[in-house]
This record gives sequence, C-alpha cells and structure tokens, in this order.
Amino acid sequence: MQAAVLRGTQNGYDLVLKQSASLDQILVDLKALLENLKVDPQALAASKVSLDVLTEDRILTADEKARIEQLIAQYPRFEIHKIAANVMTIADAVQLRERENVHLLSKVIRNGQEVAMTGDVLFLGKIHEGGKLRTTGNIFSMGDVAGILQAGYPDDESKLIMGNLQNAQQVRIAEQFEIVEPGQLSDSQQTIAHVNDLHVLTFGKLANLKKINPKLYNQIGGI
Amino acid sequence: MGKAIVITSGKGGVGKTTTSANIGTALALMGKRVCLMDLDIGLRNLDVVLGLDNRIIYDIVDVAEGRAKLPQALVKDKRFDDKLYLLPAAQNTDKTALEPEQVKEIVDELKPEYDYVLIDCPAGIEQGFMNAVAGADAAIVVTTPEISAVRDADRVVGLLEQHPLTEAPRLLINRIRRNMMQDGSMMDIDEITHHLGIELLGIIFDDDAVITTSNQGEPVVMETENPAGQGYRNVARRLEGETVPLMKIEEQEDTGFWHRVSSWFHRG
Repeated sequence: MQAAVLRGTQNGYDLVLKQSASLDQILVDLKALLENLKVDPQALAASKVSLDVLTEDRILTADEKARIEQLIAQYPRFEIHKIAANVMTIADAVQLRERENVHLLSKVIRNGQEVAMTGDVLFLGKIHEGGKLRTTGNIFSMGDVAGILQAGYPDDESKLIMGNLQNAQQVRIAEQFEIVEPGQLSDSQQTIAHVNDLHVLTFGKLANLKKINPKLYNQIGGI
Repeated sequence: MGKAIVITSGKGGVGKTTTSANIGTALALMGKRVCLMDLDIGLRNLDVVLGLDNRIIYDIVDVAEGRAKLPQALVKDKRFDDKLYLLPAAQNTDKTALEPEQVKEIVDELKPEYDYVLIDCPAGIEQGFMNAVAGADAAIVVTTPEISAVRDADRVVGLLEQHPLTEAPRLLINRIRRNMMQDGSMMDIDEITHHLGIELLGIIFDDDAVITTSNQGEPVVMETENPAGQGYRNVARRLEGETVPLMKIEEQEDTGFWHRVSSWFHRG
C-alpha cells in the first residue's frame, strides 16, 4: 500500500499521508510519487499544483512538517496550500472550548484588580470602582458594575456588552471606549453597548439586538 | 500562642498608628500581654504616640540583621506592669531594609510570649505593606468615611484576598463625625461596610481628645469617659470574642433636670 496518495477533488488536490505508515516510509513513497509525476508532465492537468496535505489522525511536529516541506520544495511544480490533520491536541481543544463557552463569573473585583477571561462571560458578581473585567468575547452582566468592562479584547469590535451599565466608570469594546457620565444611561438591565459601522461605541436596547448584531441574535435563537 | 494582627489601610493619615496604640493599650488594660510592632520604617511614630520615644535603644532592623537580640530591642511600657511592649521601627533606613521572611521570623518569635502581636503597617501597598502582612494571622483594615480612604481600603482588601491570612480581614471605621453622618453629608457606616463586603469590627468617633492625648504620649483609650476611647475599648472586647453592640451615632440628648429647666427659659 502506498504511504502517500494523491487524490483529485473538486477543489484541487489532496495529498494523503497514511497514518499507519512511518514518516520515513512516507518520505520514500512521496519522493517516488513526485518523481513519477515529474517524468510525465501530462499526468496532471494544471501547470502549478497546490496540495492540501492531509495527515489523517496524526499530528506532525514542526520538524516533521519541515522535512515534508523540504521534499516538496524540490519539485517546483508543487506547492503546499496547507497541512491539516483530523485531530488536535488536548491543549488546543481546551483553548477552543474556552473560546466557545459562556463562562460564569461571580466574584467581587475590587479597586485595582483586573480579571482577564477568554470567551463570553456571564457576570454575576460585583465590580467596585477601579476594578476591571476584560474578555475576548461578549460580556453579559447581571451583576453590580461600578468599574470598567471591556469586551472583544484586544481588537474584536463585533463583540458587545449587555446589562445594567448605568454605574460603570467606562465601557470598552476592542479599542473603542466610552466614559459613562452620570445620568447618561438608564437604570435598565437591557442596555447594550456595541461598536457601530462608524467604529464608534454606542449604546442601544436589547430589543434592537437583531439590528445591532444579527449574528449573535441568530446564535441565541432569535427569529 | 498569641495572635498576630496587622493594622493596615492603604491610605495614609486615616489613623493606623493611633488605632494600633489604642487597641494595644485597651487589650493591655484588659490584662492581656501585648506587643506592638512598628513597621513604618523611616517614619516611625508609634513610639511617640505611646510616649516611649526616649527609651529606644535598638530597633527592628537591628534585630533582623542580628545586631541585637529581640528582648533587647523591646521597649516596656511601665504604665501597664509588664503587659505592653513596643518593638520600634528603624529611623535611618528605608522600607527595603527588611524582607518579609525576616518579619515573619520576628513575629513567630513573639507569638508564644504574647497574647497579641499588633503590627502597625505603613501607608501604601509596596514592600512595607508586604513586610507587615507577611507574619500576620488576621488584619484590621482602617478607613475613614471619605471616598478616597474607602477606595484604598477596597484595594487593600483585594490584596489581602489574593494572599489570604488565616482570618478574613475586619473593618474599622475611624474619624466618624456624628453630626455630619446624622445629616447625611458623610458616607454612612452601613454603606461603607456593605460596599467593602467585610465584617465590621468597630466604629470610632472623631474627638479632639485623640489629638491632645496623642501629643501627650497617652492613648485616648485611657480616658474612661471619652467616646473615642470607648470605641477602642469596644473593639478590644470584640477581638476577645465578646459581643458588644455598636455605639449609637445619634448624640445623646441631655434630658436631666437642669437641662429641662434651662430649655424652659429658652423656649419661645
């Protein structure tokens, strides 16, 4: 059985490196395959072939990737589009889960403290004046906020902050910020802070979420 | 085995040193053996408040660096018959002269000998604060009913929560002006306590006698009738585990016989 197989698909060419073969075997077979194709220029239709290298259930180390890239680089007709596997490391998986989940946070963030999170946060605690909560995702606040909230850290302007922001000192989304003046916002749990098309941080109402952020609206099941 | 309590606030000038001196004295008056440690190195004044400034031979830095033994550096307060001692701070070095481990060592050496080791913390949250907190089992956070002091207290409580001591920090609200709190122009006690979210240990009324007694080197707690002294004595009793109600904010109306007679003349 060949350890390196070239497959044509609708989108181009897949180079499948069999999971059961050793890397040395793969390199030998891959070299033979490429030599073959070099000899017969008519074998492939396109003049320049872009390969999606698929490693099945094997994750290649940087070193192993380099060896494959080196080999393919010897054949100018071929170039690597991407190297992909069916699996990911546990660390990557945890990170992905962190990013996708809504995290519950119920603590007191005191003056001078800064809590950094990843993903969306449902905040149930208290932020005292001078305290700061920041996250890469959205913030849904049901707590008492008298400090600073930052969503979409460091640069994702599509995120928003929802909750009673009346007593907050500042609201920040990505790099945009708004200093909340006394009396500026109503005493409502349904305030939404978001960045509009002009890259200005503005405040809206939950009822208008469909207009403000259709993607999130669909995600949470709005019709 | 005694208990080491650090008295801290973050902000300067809220009455940490006065509080240390008065709680220490109150505990000594109750018959407890107390050692006061001044960690405000470079700007020591706990000794002045206690009237012991002329008796200092060695200080805490001398002990930490091995120039003196701990008992040599301790200053005894003769008024309290072997109950109250002071370990003074150094005057000619800065706060970096001590390491937290050295302070902890000294506190651990003192604890078996005394019922209470009270540590007077310097203002700020740098090295001096870290040193003061290092050996403590509990903390008293002092604040005044001003927003700046409450903010700093909040910061300090946050830091104490990050490196928890054996006991949760307790709050002492100092310099309360009865009239201002009554007419609502000063932050309310409940408001401060609720905001900081820690247990209230006591309240101390602002009183001119605090300044005059401190100038004479005699803590106000020794004046039996003084409301500020009463507040400190109550705090000491609460530290001992007694249940003592908070003092009333409302000023007591004088309803004695002569007051009624005089108000009768003032009427109309």
